Amino acid sequence: MSAATVPERGTRPALPPAVTKGLLALIVFVVVPATMSAIGGGYLYGIATMALIFIILASSLNLVTGTAGLLSLGHAGFYGIGAYVAAILSTRMGLPFLITMPAAGVIAGAIGVVVALPTMRLVSIYFAVATLGIGQMIFVTLLNWTDFTRGPMGIRGIPPITILGWQPHSPMQQYMVVALTTVASLWILSRLTHSYFGNALRAVREDDQCASAMGLNVVQLKIVAFGTSCFFAGIAGALLAHTANFISPDQFQFGESINILAMVVVGGLGSLPGAVIGALLLVILPEALRGVGDFRMIAIGSVMFFSILLLPKGLLGEASALGLLRRQFGEAWSDGLGPRVGWR
Amino acid sequence: MLDIYLVQQIINGLSIGLVYALMAIGFTLIFGVLNVVNFAHGEVYMVGAFAGLMLITATAPPLLAVVLVVLAVGAMTGVGLERLAFKPFRRFRDEASLRSRAMREATLLSSLAVSIVAREVMTLVFGSNMQTIPQAFLLQHPIRLGVLSITDGDLIIFGASVVMLGALQYLLFRTRVGLSIRAVANSPLGAQFVGINTDRAIMATFAVGSMLGAVAGILVGLYSGTITPMMGFAPGIKAFVAMVMGGLSSIPGAVICALLLGVSESITTEFLASGWQDLVAYSFLIATLVFFPQGLFGVGRDRA
Amino acid sequence: MSGAPMLEIDNLTRRFQGLVAVDAVSSYVNAHELVGLIGPNGAGKTTLFNLISGFIAPTEGDIRFEGRSLVGMRPHRIARLGIGRTFQNLRILPNMTVFDNVSIGALGTVGHSAWQALIPGRRMGSRRISELTRDALDQVHLSAQAGELAANLSYGRRKYLEIARALATRPKLLILDEPAAGLNDTETAGLAEFIRGLVRRGLTVLLVEHDMSLVMSICDRVIVLASGAKIADADPATVQRDPAVLDSYLGTRD
Repeated sequence: MSAATVPERGTRPALPPAVTKGLLALIVFVVVPATMSAIGGGYLYGIATMALIFIILASSLNLVTGTAGLLSLGHAGFYGIGAYVAAILSTRMGLPFLITMPAAGVIAGAIGVVVALPTMRLVSIYFAVATLGIGQMIFVTLLNWTDFTRGPMGIRGIPPITILGWQPHSPMQQYMVVALTTVASLWILSRLTHSYFGNALRAVREDDQCASAMGLNVVQLKIVAFGTSCFFAGIAGALLAHTANFISPDQFQFGESINILAMVVVGGLGSLPGAVIGALLLVILPEALRGVGDFRMIAIGSVMFFSILLLPKGLLGEASALGLLRRQFGEAWSDGLGPRVGWR
Repeated sequence: MLDIYLVQQIINGLSIGLVYALMAIGFTLIFGVLNVVNFAHGEVYMVGAFAGLMLITATAPPLLAVVLVVLAVGAMTGVGLERLAFKPFRRFRDEASLRSRAMREATLLSSLAVSIVAREVMTLVFGSNMQTIPQAFLLQHPIRLGVLSITDGDLIIFGASVVMLGALQYLLFRTRVGLSIRAVANSPLGAQFVGINTDRAIMATFAVGSMLGAVAGILVGLYSGTITPMMGFAPGIKAFVAMVMGGLSSIPGAVICALLLGVSESITTEFLASGWQDLVAYSFLIATLVFFPQGLFGVGRDRA
Repeated sequence: MSGAPMLEIDNLTRRFQGLVAVDAVSSYVNAHELVGLIGPNGAGKTTLFNLISGFIAPTEGDIRFEGRSLVGMRPHRIARLGIGRTFQNLRILPNMTVFDNVSIGALGTVGHSAWQALIPGRRMGSRRISELTRDALDQVHLSAQAGELAANLSYGRRKYLEIARALATRPKLLILDEPAAGLNDTETAGLAEFIRGLVRRGLTVLLVEHDMSLVMSICDRVIVLASGAKIADADPATVQRDPAVLDSYLGTRD
C-alpha cells in the first residue's frame, strides 16, 4: 500500500526516548488502573482489557498489511484459532495459561505459515481474497466441527489466567497481566517494524520486483511477516479466552477481520503507533457512545470509508499535532539504528 | 432411488449455479472494465431482493413487472455505488493510475466499507430475520417431469438467465454502449483517445452488472424463501470464486464455473451437514488461486 | 585474467506469443570489461536485461554467470551471486532516507532476518549493513545527504542513489539501465568518468544506453541489437563503421 506516512525532517523529539518509554509505562501501569479504580467498576477493566487485546490484533495486522503491504482479510480467523486452542487445551486437558497462551500463538502462527506458503506468490489483491477465503474456512470449521469446538454453543467455563499457581484476584490484577503481555508484544512488533527487517518489508511493499533484484527473498520475507502476525493474533485469542471465560465462533467472523482492518486503516497503514490509536478509538468510542451499539458497524464502515477517501495516510499521517506524537513515540521505539531507520 | 435424488440435487445445483452465474457476470464485467473487485456486489443482489419484496407486498404485481422494476433498481444502485465508492478514486487520467495497485486496493476497501454500511443499514431498517414472502410468489410450486420433480422456480430461473444472457450478448456486441464497454475493458486510455466517454462506459458497466445481480437476488429470494440483509455476502463471494475460476476475463468461463460451483455445493449437502457447504466455494477459491492462476478457462489476465 | 568470461549469453531467445523479443543472441562479458549494449527502441535491450536479472525466463538458450547457469534461478538468488542492477525508471523509495534506500541493497546480500531484529544493539549483521551502505554512499559522493529524504534529491543525484543501492549489493557485475537518460552534457560526462572509475576499481559493467557519445567514449566493447537479434559485437570504432549498424539507426546511408 502506498499509504505510507511521510517522515518530517528536522525537529528532534522533545523528550529523550527513555523518558517517553517511562511515561508510557507509567500511563499504562499506573495512571489507567488508578483512574479506573477511582471511577470504579470491573466493567471498565473489561473494556480496558478488550482494548489491550485489540491493540495486539491491530498492531500485528499492521505488520503484515501496513509494513509488508499484504492486505489480509482473515486476521480474525487466526484470532479465533488462538482462542479455541487456549480454550480447548485448558478445558479439556487442564493445561495452565503459561502453556496455552504460547501454544495458541505458535499454532496460529504455524497455520498461518502453512496457509501462506502456497498463496504468497499471488499478487496482492488475490492474496487478499485468499486470506478472506481462509478466514471464512476457519470460521466455518469452528462453527461446524461440533465434536471439537461445540459449534455455535461455544466453549464455556474457560479457566482464568493462572501463573504458576497465582491467580488474579481482581479485575485490576487481570488487567495488569494483560497489559504486560500487550506491552511485551508491542515491544517485539516495534522492534520488527523499526529495524532493517522492517525496511526489507517496506521495500517489498513498495516494489517487490526491485527488492528481489537487490537480493531480498521476497517470498520468505512475506511468509515470515504473515506468520508473525498470525502468531500475535493467536496470543490475543488466548488472552480473550482466559479473560472472558467464554468464546463462540461468531466472535471470529469476517466482520471482526474488517473491524481490525479498520483500526489499522484509520490509524495509518504502516504506522505502529497509528494502529494502537486506531484500536483504542474503535474500542473505546462505541463504549463511550453507549446506545450507539446498533450503529457500531455502520460507524466503523463509514469511518473506514472516509478515512480511505479523505485521509489515505490515516490519522497519524496528516494532523501535525499527532505527527509530533508519532515522532515522539517512533523515536522512543527505535534505538538509533543508522540515521533514521525506517518510517515515522 | 439414490440416483434420482442425485439428479434432483444436480438440477437444484444448476439453478443455484445459474444464480451465481448471473452475479459472476456482473463481477466479470466490472473487473474487466476497471480491474477492480467490487466488494459491494453481493449487496446489490440483496437490495434487488428487498426492492422486489417491497413491491410485492405493496401491490402484488405479476412477476414480470417485479423483475422489470428490480432491473431498474439494480441499475440505479449500481451506478450509485460506482459514483460513491469507485469514482472518487479515479483521480488521475493516466493509464498507470487507472489500473494502479493503490487504486485497486483503495477501491477494494471502499467498496468493502460501503457493503458493510449497506448491510447494517438494511439490518436496522428491516431487522435481521427472514422476511415473510406472500405464498403466491414463492417460486416453489412443484412440477413433475416424469420421475423428476422440479419447481417452477427452476424453470423461471433458467428462462430468465437465458433471456438475460442473450440480452447481454446483444448489448455487448451490437450496441454502441456495449462497444464502449468492450473498448474501455481493452484499453482505458486508448478508448479515451478515440473519444469514448470512459466515465459513462464505466457507469454503464456497473449498471448492467448490477441489473443482473439484482435480478439474481429477487429470483433466489423467491426461490428459497429467504430474504435477509445478510443474504448477499456468501453468494457474492461465490460469484467471485466463479469469476476467478473462469479466468477473470471470460464471461462464458465464469458461467460454466458458476454452474460447477452450484452443482458441487448441492452434491456436498448429500454427504456433509449443511453448514459445511460454504467450504466448497472457499476451497475451490484457494485451489484455483494456487493451482490454476490462469483460471480454468481464461487466457489469464494481467494479474500484476 | 582467467579464461572463461564472467557472463555468457548463449543463443538466448525469448518469444512472447508470436513476437520474438530476443532472437538467438550470443555474447559475453569478460571480467573488468566495460561493455555497452545499444540498439533502436524495441530492439530487445530491456528484455535482455530482464532475462539476465531473472524476471522472465528464456524460451531457448542459456545465460551463465561465472560458469553457472542462471536459467530458472529466482531474481534474488541471481542478485546474491553478484549481479547488481539499476532500473531505467529509477525505482527508489521516495519516502525513505537516502541511507535507508541504499541499505536495501546491502540488506539483500548480507541478509537480515527477523530474529536479528529482535536483539537490541548493533549485531554483526547490522554493522555490516551500515558499513556497506556508507561505503556505497561514499563512492557516489552522497554521504552528506545520507539523512535526506530521497524525494528531496535532484534528478541527477537520484540516478547516483540508484547506482549506490546497486553498489551496496557488492556486485561483481553491475548492469546499468540507461543511466544517462535525462542528464545534460556535463552530467553525462561526469557519469562517464564515474563509470570508468568503477571499472578501474575492479567492477565489471554492462551498460545499456541511448546516448551514443557516452557509449562510444568509455566502452571497451559494444554490442548492437536490432529487432531482437545481435548485429554487431566489437570495439566502438569498428561498430561505428559497421554498415549494418548505421543502417538500423539511420536508414540507408546516402
